[in-house]
Amino acid sequence: MREPAWRVFAAEYNEANHVIEGRGEKKPRYVLTPLGAKVNRLFIAGVLTDVEEIGAEGIRRRARISDPTGIHVVYAEAFEPEVASILADMEVPSYIAVVGKVRIYEPEENVLYVSARAEKAKEVSEEVRDHWIIEACRGTLVRINAMRDALSMNEATPKQLRELGYPPAVAEGVSEALKVYKDIDVEQYEMMVRDALSFITTGKKEIRKDYAAEEEKLLDIIASMQGEDGAIWDEVMEEAVKQGMERSVVEEVMVILLEKGQIYEPQLGKIKMV
Amino acid sequence: MEEIEKAAEEILATVKADKEKVMEDLKKFVEYGVPLEQAKEVVISKYGEVTKEKKLKDIEAGERNICTIGKIIAIDEREVEVRGERRKIYRGLLGDDTAVIPFTAWKDFGLSKGDVVRIENASSSEWGGEPRLSLSEWTTVEKVDYDIELVKRAPQRYNLIDLKPGLSNVEARGKILSIEEREVNIGGEARKVFSGVMADETGKVRFTAWKDFGLGEGEVIRIKNAYVRKWRGAPQLIFDENSTVEKIDEEIVMEERATPLHKVVEAGGGIDLILEGTILDVRDDSGIIFRCPQCNRKLRDGVCEEHGEVEGVADLRIRALLDDGTGAVEVIMNREISEKLLEKKMEEFMEVAKEAMDYSIVHEEVVEKLFATPVRVKGDSLPSEFIVTIFARDVEILRFDKEGEIEEIKMQLEGLQ
Repeated sequence: MREPAWRVFAAEYNEANHVIEGRGEKKPRYVLTPLGAKVNRLFIAGVLTDVEEIGAEGIRRRARISDPTGIHVVYAEAFEPEVASILADMEVPSYIAVVGKVRIYEPEENVLYVSARAEKAKEVSEEVRDHWIIEACRGTLVRINAMRDALSMNEATPKQLRELGYPPAVAEGVSEALKVYKDIDVEQYEMMVRDALSFITTGKKEIRKDYAAEEEKLLDIIASMQGEDGAIWDEVMEEAVKQGMERSVVEEVMVILLEKGQIYEPQLGKIKMV
Repeated sequence: MEEIEKAAEEILATVKADKEKVMEDLKKFVEYGVPLEQAKEVVISKYGEVTKEKKLKDIEAGERNICTIGKIIAIDEREVEVRGERRKIYRGLLGDDTAVIPFTAWKDFGLSKGDVVRIENASSSEWGGEPRLSLSEWTTVEKVDYDIELVKRAPQRYNLIDLKPGLSNVEARGKILSIEEREVNIGGEARKVFSGVMADETGKVRFTAWKDFGLGEGEVIRIKNAYVRKWRGAPQLIFDENSTVEKIDEEIVMEERATPLHKVVEAGGGIDLILEGTILDVRDDSGIIFRCPQCNRKLRDGVCEEHGEVEGVADLRIRALLDDGTGAVEVIMNREISEKLLEKKMEEFMEVAKEAMDYSIVHEEVVEKLFATPVRVKGDSLPSEFIVTIFARDVEILRFDKEGEIEEIKMQLEGLQ
């Protein structure tokens, strides 16, 4: 079976910290989000905000794609030269659509970072991006409903959720998410959908909040951790989260600081103040 | 210690043996540092010769060494290709007093409908979220000389769009859109069968009646105890002498509604489908292709599989992957549809390609035009092996009503309060 491409907002996807190994010959891996999306393939449309070369050969690329809720990190690997060159040739900012597989980085036990490995990419129109936001809203809403129903039952099996009319993949994902995530904040995702909707109705470009306080906080953290060769990105993230910042906000602020030139990456995965 | 006892109980659920002995064996292995899971397998295979019979409802996907007793409720034979070899396999339904589950027999066990059999050393796999019993080379199947009770299940009511191959004891209703009579030869005996297409509010399905129920076009019927098989790449509803069919006085108004792709994927296809999704891939052999003038097959490097090197006839077609986030199917578009969608005639593409001396330039243009584009497709599924394949009768670009969609989602959000 070809894995369907989930339309999942960055804020939900990036919060995932659980991986499920699938059955069958190929043993596909699925990223399970707190709201029960069981993702092996993604379809992302948004604003391309950054493309950088990574690795010594300079063929691999890392791109950041912004949606109304956060940032999707997308890699173009050396064995997908076509996608890498499409990313390299695109202007920043522009609208982009990407089909990709989940990319899972597990530096140590219980620490998990998810991103996407692009299979296909292309510049698209604003209309395609808007349509994507609508689809992502609709999909999220199905999972919000399923999660609410599941929370109101004692023990929601996939079968019970299927009987309520949810698609099998959603029924399975929600039932599994209930087991591994504690205190799932459904309201937070309702807010997310609302925000995403108002984002396209106002027709405004990305509303960037004022992150001055967060920028300062993050710079302090980096300063305290950077040593000689820079602070490890993931450790900075952990520390910032510990200090109460949201993952998606940290990501956004990191990009702002990179763009402002206040920090740079001496090597992959490390950050240093200029 | 507790773990060993738990493991012993799990073992005793599958094999007949003495608990003390099983625990003793387990302990010995564990003392030697054999992981408990492995020790379990070793002990199971040691006592595995006297297997306990399982009730069908207790069989889960992914089990091995299953022993059970059941009655063959339905069986049919089909030919499949396994590693390049044509083989006959048998598929059907097995029932006991607890459940009915589908099975596949990979060789001829000489089974027929109504047989009660004792099965040893079968395995199970997952199929459509449910377990399916698999009878292989290593399975033994013996007929027993007594009858068994079958589970009394309330028939399940289905909308036609939810019918998928393998379902049994199905209740459905629909309007007969077409019906024709033909004669088939079964085991040297000529039998009349009636087949056609029926529809309800959710979709259409092909049906076959193995008995003359006196049905006519335009009638609305309710069928009980029917079953579903796959035929020509789509589900087919079958009713026979075990089924009841009644004509009912109801009106059916068919709706023009898109079917979510996961349903089409689960059903393995369908007829007269309306699908909505986004094109997420355009296959490499989309664009200008050349066909054999005699058999219409697509040529490979100017060579036809059947007729060798021939002067190819140019054609324009698109093979695209349609995905709606819940499932994915392949859509084949012929020249007429491709020209409409790309807003360009094949002759124009030919000229562009000739100028560039490269036909792949057409593929690039198709990708440029269609990747990430939402479309609405009407069509029927074709028999296919790896992915449900839809032969399109019409494709149009989906212009979505942004304001309307936003309003609808907002209303749903309010409904959550």
